[in-house]
Amino acid sequence: MKIWLAVLLTVFPVAASAQAVAATTGRATNWIAIGMFVVIVAATLVITYRSAGSTKSKADFYTAGHAITPLQNGLAIAGDFLSAAAFLGISALVYANGLDGFVYALGFLTGWPIVLFLMSERLRNLGSYTFADAAAFRLEHTPIRLVAAIGSLVVVLFYLVAQMIGAGKVIELLFGVNYLVAVVSVGILMILYVTVGGMQATTWVQITKAALLLCGGTLLGFAVLWHFNFSFATLFAAASNIHPKGAAILAPGGLFAEPVSAISLGLALVFGTAGLPHILMRFFTVKDAAGARKSVFYATSCVAYFSLVIPILGFGAVPILMSDPSYFHVNAAGQFNKIADLIGGPNMAAIHLSGAVGGPILLGFMSAVAFATILAVVAGLTLAGCSAIGHDIYGQVIAKGRGSDAREVWVSKVAAACIGAVAVLLAYSFENQNVAFMAGLALSVAASCNFPVLVMAIFWRGTTTRGAVTGALAGLIGSVVLVVLSKTVWVAVLGFASAPFPYENPALFSMPLAFLCIWLFSLTDRTPRARCERNAFDAQFVQSEIGVVLPAEGCALAEAAR
Amino acid sequence: MLQVAQERAHKIIADPRFRHLASARARLRWSLSIVTLIMFFGFVALISTAKSALGAAVAGSAVPLGLFLAITMIIVVVMLTGFYVYRSNSHFDELVCDLRQEFSR
Repeated sequence: MKIWLAVLLTVFPVAASAQAVAATTGRATNWIAIGMFVVIVAATLVITYRSAGSTKSKADFYTAGHAITPLQNGLAIAGDFLSAAAFLGISALVYANGLDGFVYALGFLTGWPIVLFLMSERLRNLGSYTFADAAAFRLEHTPIRLVAAIGSLVVVLFYLVAQMIGAGKVIELLFGVNYLVAVVSVGILMILYVTVGGMQATTWVQITKAALLLCGGTLLGFAVLWHFNFSFATLFAAASNIHPKGAAILAPGGLFAEPVSAISLGLALVFGTAGLPHILMRFFTVKDAAGARKSVFYATSCVAYFSLVIPILGFGAVPILMSDPSYFHVNAAGQFNKIADLIGGPNMAAIHLSGAVGGPILLGFMSAVAFATILAVVAGLTLAGCSAIGHDIYGQVIAKGRGSDAREVWVSKVAAACIGAVAVLLAYSFENQNVAFMAGLALSVAASCNFPVLVMAIFWRGTTTRGAVTGALAGLIGSVVLVVLSKTVWVAVLGFASAPFPYENPALFSMPLAFLCIWLFSLTDRTPRARCERNAFDAQFVQSEIGVVLPAEGCALAEAAR
Repeated sequence: MLQVAQERAHKIIADPRFRHLASARARLRWSLSIVTLIMFFGFVALISTAKSALGAAVAGSAVPLGLFLAITMIIVVVMLTGFYVYRSNSHFDELVCDLRQEFSR
C-alpha cells in the first residue's frame, strides 16, 4: 500500500510536469531518460519492499544483521561514497580545469588507504552500530556520544543539503520537472528506503547504483576512446587545441597552485573520508574485522577505477562538446563561453557527452545513472543521521542502553523522516544560494571533529573524556567559524566585500587545533575518572587487536560502585 | 569486574605472540600510512613548486608527466591496500585466531 502510494507520488508529478515544462520551454522531454528513471525507482522500491520483512531488530535496521558479504559491502561503500559531486562534479572540474580535476579525484582516493590502515578493523572490533561506539568504548558515554552525534549530524545535514540541491538541479534539467517536485520526490524516496528497508534496503540501493555507475562510466569512457581511435595522443591534442586554457589543461595548477590552500584541501579530502559517519557505519554491516578490511579493498578498487575513468570523460568532453555550439547558450553575436555557457553549467558536461557520443539512449541511461547516484548517497546519509539520533542520543544517552530495541528503531525511523523533511526544506530555501561551501564544510567537520576524536580514542592511551570532548568541539566550531569567515560564505553568501579568512578550506587549521586540544586537555586531566580511562586502554587495545570480548565495565559505573 | 578485565587484558598483552602481532601490525599500519600521505602531499607540493615540469610529456608518449604520476599513484594506492589486506587476513589473522582460542573461554 505504502509502496504504491510512493510510486504514484513520485512518478505522476514527474510525468505530468515533464509535459508542462516541455510545452513551455520548447525543449523536448527525454522519454528514454524518464523511462529508465522509472525503472530504477521501481527496482529500488521492490528492493525496499523485500527488505522490509527482514528488518526487525536493531541490528537489522542499522547494520543488516552484520550479514553483508565483503564484496557486497565494498560495492555499497563505493556507492555510498561516489556522489553526484564525484561523478558530475569531478568530470566538470576536468572539463573546466584539466588535470586539476584529476588531482582532486586523487585526494578522494587517498582517503581510502587511511580508512583501511587506521579505521576499519579497529572500528569493527570495538563497535557494533555507529562510530561513537568505538569512540566511547572506554570513555564516558554521555558526553562522547553527544559530541559524536552532533559531529555526525552536522556532516550529514550539510552533505545532504548539498546533494539535494544538486539533485534538484540535475533532475530539473534532465527530466524538465519543477525544482520543488524534484527535491520532494528525492526526499520521499530516501525516507522510504530508510524507514521501510533500513540498512538492508540502503545497501542494495547502493550496490545497484555502484554497478550502474561503473557500467555507465565504462561504457561512456569506451565510447569516448573509440571516438579518438583509442589514442590518448589524439585525445589530448584535440582537447588542448580547442580548450580556452590551451595546453595548460595538461598541467596541474589553478586549484592547487597556492600551497596553503592546496594542503588544506588535501587534508580535508584525505582525512574527511576517514571521518564520514555514513562511510564508517558501513564497516558494521560485515561479520568481522577481516570482512571490514576486505570490503575496503573492494571499495578502494572501485573508487580507483572510477578515478581513472572520470578524467577520460572530462578530457573527452572538451573537444566533443566545445566544437558544437548546440550544447551552449549562444548570445546574439554568436559568441559563447566554452565553460560557463554550457547548458545546465559545467556539471552537465558528462551528461551532454553521453548524448554526443551515444545518442538519446546513452543520454537517457546516464541521466538515470546520475539520478540513482544521488538516491544512493542521500539514503546512506539519512541512515547515518538517524542512527546518530536513535542509537547514540536516544538509545545510549537518554535510555542509557536499557530501552527496548523496538522503541529505539522507532525513534530512528521518526528521526529519518525528520532529517528528510529538514533536508527538503533547506534544499528548497537555499535553491538559489551559492552552496559550494556545504560539501567542503561537511568534509572539514568530518576531518576536524569526527576523525581526531576517533583516532585519538582508539590509538592514544592518554585520551580522556575531557580531552576528547574539548577537541571535538574545538574542531567543530573552528571549522564552522573559519568557513563562515572565508570567501565562500562571507563574500558569496553574506555579501561582504572581502573575507577575513583568506583560504577556502579550514582543515589545515581546524584539524591540528582539534588534535592539540585533545592532547592538551587529556594531559592535564588529573581526575580519578581520567586515570581509570587510561587504565581501561589495555582492555580496549586487546579487543581492538584481536576482538576478544573481555568483560568490560565503563569507568563511570566502576566509580559508582566504589 | 573491571579488575578482572584488567588482569586478563594484561595477561594477553604479556603474551609474546600478542606482542609480536601488535608491534608488527603497528609497524605495517603506520609505515604504509606514512608512505601514502607522503605520496599524496608530496604530489600536491610538487604541483605548487614545479608546475611546468608536470605539464611536459613523458619521453616517447603524449601523456603529460603529471598525469602519468597521478595514474601511477592510483595503481600504487590499490596495491598498498591490497598488500595490507592480504598480510592482515593471512599472517596476522592466524595469530589472532591462536590468541582467541587460548584466551576466550
